[in-house]
Amino acid sequence: MNAIEIKGLTKSFRGMHAVDSLNMTVPVGAIYGFIGENGSGKSTTEKLICGHLVPDKGEIKLFGKPYTDAGVRVRVGALIESAGCFPNSSVYANLMMQALNLGIKNRAEEIQRVLKIVRMEDNAKLKFKKCSLGMKQRIGIAMALLGNPALLILDEPINGLDTDGMRIMREIIVDITQNLGCTVLISSHILGELEKIATHYGIIRQGKLIQEMSAKEMDARSRVFVSLKTGDMQEAIKVLKSKFDDVRFEDDYIRVYDVEDTESIVKHLLDSGHKVSEVEKNKVGLEEYYIQLMSKKEEA
Amino acid sequence: MENKAMLQFDQPSFFKRLKGMLGVDFYRLFHTPLLYIFLFIAALIPALVSMGAMGGEEGAETAGMFSNAWQIIAASKPMYIISDMGDYANMNMVYIFGGIMISIFIGHDYKSGYVKQLFTTHAKKQDYMISKTMLGAFSMVCMCVTYMIGGMIAGAATGLPFKINAGSLICAILGKFIMSLGWASLYTFINVIFRSKFGISIALCFVLGTGIPIIGAAAVIGNTPALNIFLYGSSVYACLTSNALTLVICLMNSVVWAVIYNVLGTLILNKRDCY
Repeated sequence: MNAIEIKGLTKSFRGMHAVDSLNMTVPVGAIYGFIGENGSGKSTTEKLICGHLVPDKGEIKLFGKPYTDAGVRVRVGALIESAGCFPNSSVYANLMMQALNLGIKNRAEEIQRVLKIVRMEDNAKLKFKKCSLGMKQRIGIAMALLGNPALLILDEPINGLDTDGMRIMREIIVDITQNLGCTVLISSHILGELEKIATHYGIIRQGKLIQEMSAKEMDARSRVFVSLKTGDMQEAIKVLKSKFDDVRFEDDYIRVYDVEDTESIVKHLLDSGHKVSEVEKNKVGLEEYYIQLMSKKEEA
Repeated sequence: MENKAMLQFDQPSFFKRLKGMLGVDFYRLFHTPLLYIFLFIAALIPALVSMGAMGGEEGAETAGMFSNAWQIIAASKPMYIISDMGDYANMNMVYIFGGIMISIFIGHDYKSGYVKQLFTTHAKKQDYMISKTMLGAFSMVCMCVTYMIGGMIAGAATGLPFKINAGSLICAILGKFIMSLGWASLYTFINVIFRSKFGISIALCFVLGTGIPIIGAAAVIGNTPALNIFLYGSSVYACLTSNALTLVICLMNSVVWAVIYNVLGTLILNKRDCY
């Protein structure tokens, strides 16, 4: 079963397609990294799934049921743009309101449970407006976690967080999927962080989903390369190009793509009288993969 | 990874959904100062009106405006055309305060972004309309009570007589209570149209709550009971000559308008984005 299944979803604002015939599938239990540049339609898609926006066309199914099904939607938690809390109310009061909204019976215990997950137990009495950005993001997650949601939709939850905050957020997301069985749809610009936790990816551009794959598929598609440094980089590139197909100068390094045999590259350079000062075998990461994909689309 | 218990989705009944929404609204109502401020205002206004604090020397205005302490609560007869402040300055003013309060309450739902939480978990938008209507009606009934207490204290302080037909008085007060439902639904409807722009909502609620359109219509077509089909008309009809029929008219009017505004409000919420 899929947690989210979207077919032909379209949403326009003043004649401009924000989401254009989008098809998307998020399997149950996945951490689905939703990637795209600013204005590509990520947040709009998430708002459509949560019922905040009304679609022009298309179909959204959550766990095999229409997204307007009250039984499913009560099990959806969301953090979209902001936590959606009353600034003059305390963290506890905001969580209590959400707990009441969801009809949770043991509200006090449930609030303590989610505060513990987001490591905010000691800040329950703090007014929401007094919280730092990182705390507000974590409160937003806590709100979304109330009532044991089956699906979490998180829009840029790590934006503005420091390194430690990002690590905590990462641990929380992994914890809720592995231990609570929750499915997570998460959008973020910080692809390096996303890469550490996502099990699936969806890449959106100009409102269309241009690629969807699992982390395993992504790994298989990622190109291998050897990066190295020599004394005379330009000469070394010429030498390498005589033997290898794809040699480039990128980020102050020579990169030889699609070659796993580091030894043969180093030997070839040494035979040509070039000393190698640094050498490392790498794989194209999500960020580079994304940039390359976007460049190809731009060119097309 | 699929957890079977995790993937069981029980259909919440209408009452369960409504209970959840009402729970949030009433928790917020009692845990923020908004209601208490309006209860205080509702108690203070009749005191100010009856004690002549709104103009002239103390007590001098009152003598002309009221001949009975209960006129602070309701007009002596159903007068849609206003000839003096005494016809107008009674418990109907609660509906103006109620409009402002509901506008602020709903406006903050949208402004804070909390409405996103509500609409994420409540697929049925009617829950929002009904809950806000019930909350508004409850608040206005509470304001009616504090208005009544304020009015009675003020009436006693100014030495006005309390002589009245008890049945008519009860019917008038109950009529005002009942009309709160219709008014609350109107204000909720206005607020789901204007959302976070609650300055516009407040202005519109104020204009409608003061009854200006009905007073204006009465000036043209005369003091006719036909105006009872409107919320302000029925609210005026609940006066010190009220009887059981008044209650029936108020009830029918209030419920019918509440249904109309709730249906229209739900349609708007279903058709429009919540931002």
